[in-house]
Amino acid sequence: MSTVTPDSLKTNFLPTWCPGCGDFGIWMALRDALANLRIGSDDGLIVYGIGCHGNMHDWVNMYAIRALHGRTLPVAQGAKLVNHKLPVVIISGDGDCLGEGGNHFIHAAKRNPDLTVFIHNNEVYGLTTGQASPTAQAGFKTKSTPEGAVDEPVNPLTLAIASGATFVARGFAGDMQGLSALMKTAIEHKGFSVVDILQPCVTFDKVHTYQWYRQRVYKLETIPENKIKALEKAMEWGDRIPLGVFYKENKPTSEDRESALADKPLVDLPLTIENLEGLLNEFY
Amino acid sequence: MMDSVTWKIGGEAGFGIMASGTMLCRTFSRAGYHVMATNDYPSLIRGGHNFITVRIATEEFASMNRDVHILVALNYESVEKHKEELMDGSLVIFDPKDGEWKEGDFQKKVKLLPVPFREIVGKFTADPVMRNTVALGVTVALLGAPFERLSSVITDQFKKKGEEVVKQNLTIAKAGYDFPSEKSFVLGPSKKKERLLVINGSEAVGVGAVRAGLKFAAIYPMTPINALITFLADHAKNLKLVYKQPEDEIAGINMAVGASIAGVRSMVATSGGGFALMVEGLSFAGVVEAPLVIDMGMRVGPATGMPTYTEQGELQFVIHAGHGEFPRIILAPSDIGEAYSLTVDAFNLADRYQVPVFVLTDKYLNESQWSLPQSALSGSVEIDRGKLFSSDSKNSNGEFKRYSLDVSDGISPRSFPGMKKGLYHADSYEHDEVGHVTEDTSMRTKMSLKRLKKLEAMKKDMKAPKIVGDSEAEITFVSWGSSKGPILEAMKLLAAKGKKTRLIHFSWLFPFPAEEATKLLSPVTRLIDVEQNATGQLASLIREHTGILIKEKILKFDGRPFYPEEIVEKL
Repeated sequence: MSTVTPDSLKTNFLPTWCPGCGDFGIWMALRDALANLRIGSDDGLIVYGIGCHGNMHDWVNMYAIRALHGRTLPVAQGAKLVNHKLPVVIISGDGDCLGEGGNHFIHAAKRNPDLTVFIHNNEVYGLTTGQASPTAQAGFKTKSTPEGAVDEPVNPLTLAIASGATFVARGFAGDMQGLSALMKTAIEHKGFSVVDILQPCVTFDKVHTYQWYRQRVYKLETIPENKIKALEKAMEWGDRIPLGVFYKENKPTSEDRESALADKPLVDLPLTIENLEGLLNEFY
Repeated sequence: MMDSVTWKIGGEAGFGIMASGTMLCRTFSRAGYHVMATNDYPSLIRGGHNFITVRIATEEFASMNRDVHILVALNYESVEKHKEELMDGSLVIFDPKDGEWKEGDFQKKVKLLPVPFREIVGKFTADPVMRNTVALGVTVALLGAPFERLSSVITDQFKKKGEEVVKQNLTIAKAGYDFPSEKSFVLGPSKKKERLLVINGSEAVGVGAVRAGLKFAAIYPMTPINALITFLADHAKNLKLVYKQPEDEIAGINMAVGASIAGVRSMVATSGGGFALMVEGLSFAGVVEAPLVIDMGMRVGPATGMPTYTEQGELQFVIHAGHGEFPRIILAPSDIGEAYSLTVDAFNLADRYQVPVFVLTDKYLNESQWSLPQSALSGSVEIDRGKLFSSDSKNSNGEFKRYSLDVSDGISPRSFPGMKKGLYHADSYEHDEVGHVTEDTSMRTKMSLKRLKKLEAMKKDMKAPKIVGDSEAEITFVSWGSSKGPILEAMKLLAAKGKKTRLIHFSWLFPFPAEEATKLLSPVTRLIDVEQNATGQLASLIREHTGILIKEKILKFDGRPFYPEEIVEKL
C-alpha cells in the first residue's frame, strides 16, 4: 500500500487563489491532517461548497462532490448515511454554510451526523469580488456595504454550540501546524464537528489581515466544561480572540440512531426483500 | 341484485370517516369484489366537512362514479351537502337527532333510513366517535354480506389496540348490522379469482420503490405523498433502508443526490410547492449525472392552492424545471398498478441513464384506495443498475474517467466513493472527464452533448401511448395520468348508448414519443384532450412535438377528479 502524504493528496492543478490567501494555509493543513490520519485518495469523501474555498475541489486528490452553493451539509449527510464507514469532510465558507446554507447548518448540528465541517471564515464573498458575508462585523465596509455593515454578524461558534454540534472549535489559517492538529482532532471526533477557521482575505479585506489576527489570537488552555461556559468563551471577540476547542461532547450520531445501519453500510446491502409476503399482507 | 354500489359517508374530521372507508373496502375486497375509495377533506384536522366515497362492484372498474346509492350522514351537513348527488332509489341514512328529513325534502325519490346512531353507541357506553362503526354494520347488512366478513376486518384493524377495543367495536358493529329490517342493496356474487389487496397510490409507489431496492429517501411532509412517508418510516427497520425527514425540500433533494452518488437507489417525494424548492437540486443531479427518482404528487396550485385537492397542473413544470439543459424522464402512472410498476421502471431507468426520473402522480391517485390483485405487486422484479465502474474502466495512466466522452450513448460508468482506484470528482461546475472544473469551449460543448445524447438513447426504452377502444371510433380521447380511469368509465357509458370511442393514453411522457404520437394522432378526425388543468398541458406538448393541434378540450380544474358522467355530458 502506498503511503499517504500531503503531496499524494495533491492534484496536478495549480491553485488559483490570490497570492497570500488564507485558503493556502487551510489547504495545506487539511492534507497534512488527512495524511496523519492515513486517509488516502480512495478512502474518503470531501464535499465542497461554492466560493473561493470550493475551488480547493480541484486541488485535493480525493473523492469529491462539489455541491451547489449552500448545500454541502445535506449532500454530505446523504452520502454518510449510505456509507457510514467512509470518512466525510466538508469544506465550506461563511456565506456557503451560514448564509445560503444556514438552515442546513442548524439541522445538521441537531442531528449530530459523524461529519466534520471546516468553515473558511473571511467575512467576505471573495468569488463575487468582495461583498459582506454573514460573519462580517458591524461597520465593516465592503462593496455591498459602502457605509459599513449595518447588521450584527453571525457567530459560527455560538450558533453551532446552541444548535447541538458536539465538537466546536476555531482555528487560524495563519497557523498551519496548529490548524492541522485541530483538524485532525475534529475529524477524529465521532459526531458533528464544526471548525470555524479565521481566514484573511488579502484582496477584499484590508482590516482583518494576518497581522491583525496575530495580535489578537490566543490558544485556549482547556475545553470549557459545559455549554454555558463554552458560549461565554465563544462570545469573546475584539482585542483577544480565542482559538482551540470550545465544546466537546460524546453523543450518539445520526448514523448510530438508524437501525438499518446497525450491521453494514446501506451501500453494501442486498436489494431484495426477505419477506415480501409479510409486507403485502398489511394491505389485505 | 346490484352489480355496483356507490356509498358515501360524511361527517366532521375526527369522526373516523377515512378509516370506515378503508374497512368497508377490505370487507368486500377480501370476498373478491372490486373496490375503490376516494376521500375529500379540507386542510384541517378537526371539524370541517369530510367525506369518503366507496364503490364496490362485482366486476373490475376504472374510476369512481358520481351517482350515490347510499349516503350515510354522521352530521347535518352531510345530508345537505350531498343531496344533489342522490338518484331515484338512493338511500339516506342519518341520525334523527341531526335533523328530521322527510322524503319530500329531496329532489329525487329517495328512501330514508333513520338510524339512532348516538342512542346505539350510548347503549354500550361507547365513545360517540364510534358511530362510524354502527354505520359500517348497517351498510354491510344492506349490501347482503355476512357479518363475519366485517368482523374479521374489524378484528385485524383494532388488534393492536387490544382485545377490549376489538370486542367493543364488534358489539357496536353487530348492533348496526342487526338494525335494518330490509337488505335493499344486495350485491351480486363476486367473481373471485385471486387474492385482492386494498392499497393507495402512495403505498403502491412505496412498494414499487422498495421492490426496486430503494435504500434512501429524504421526504419533507406534504400532501398528497404523506402515506409514502408512513410506509417507508414504518418499514425502515425491517427493510433496512433509511428514511430521513429533512429540514426542507432543498435539503431533501440534496441528501438524496448525495445518497445516490454514494451508491444506493434514492428518492424524494413532494408536491408542486416542495418541488419548486427542489429545482436547483434537480439541475445538480443533472450535471453530476446522479440517478434519482422523484415522486411528484400534484395538487391544486398556484402557491399553497387547495392543498388537499387534486390537479394535473405540473406536467410542463417538471419538463422544464431546472436551470441549464440536461435530460430527464417523466412517467405518469394512470392507475394503481402503474403507480407500482412505473416506480420500479423509474429506478431502473434512473440507473441506466444516470438521470432524474419523475413519477408524476396526483392527489386522486395517491390518496384513493383501490383493490389490486396481490400478484400485481409480487411478480419478479428485474434490477438494472446500469454501467458501473470496474478495473478496466480506467484509462492508461490509471485515471478513472467518470464522465468519459468515449461513449456513443452518452452514458459513462460510475464508481462510488471508497472504491479503490475509482476516484473521481462529482462537480456541480461544468467539468472534464474526471470531474475537474472546465471553462474550455471544446470540453464544454462535448460534455453538454454527452449528457444530451442520452435523450436519443432513452428513446428505445420509452413506451408508446396505450390505445383502448374501437379503431372505427368517431371520438378519440387523448389523456395522461389518472384521468384515464374516468375516461374509460365514460367510454363504457357511451358504448351503452351506441357511441364508439377510443382513448390514446400517455403514461410515458418525456422524452415525448413524437413519432408514435404523430402516427396515432394524425389520421384521427375528432380528437378530444381530457386533462385536469386549465390550459391543456398535454395538448401543448403534443403540439410542440408533432405540430398537431387538438382543438377540443375537456378541462377540469376545480380540485375534484373527473366523474365519468361529466365527461359524457361535456361531449
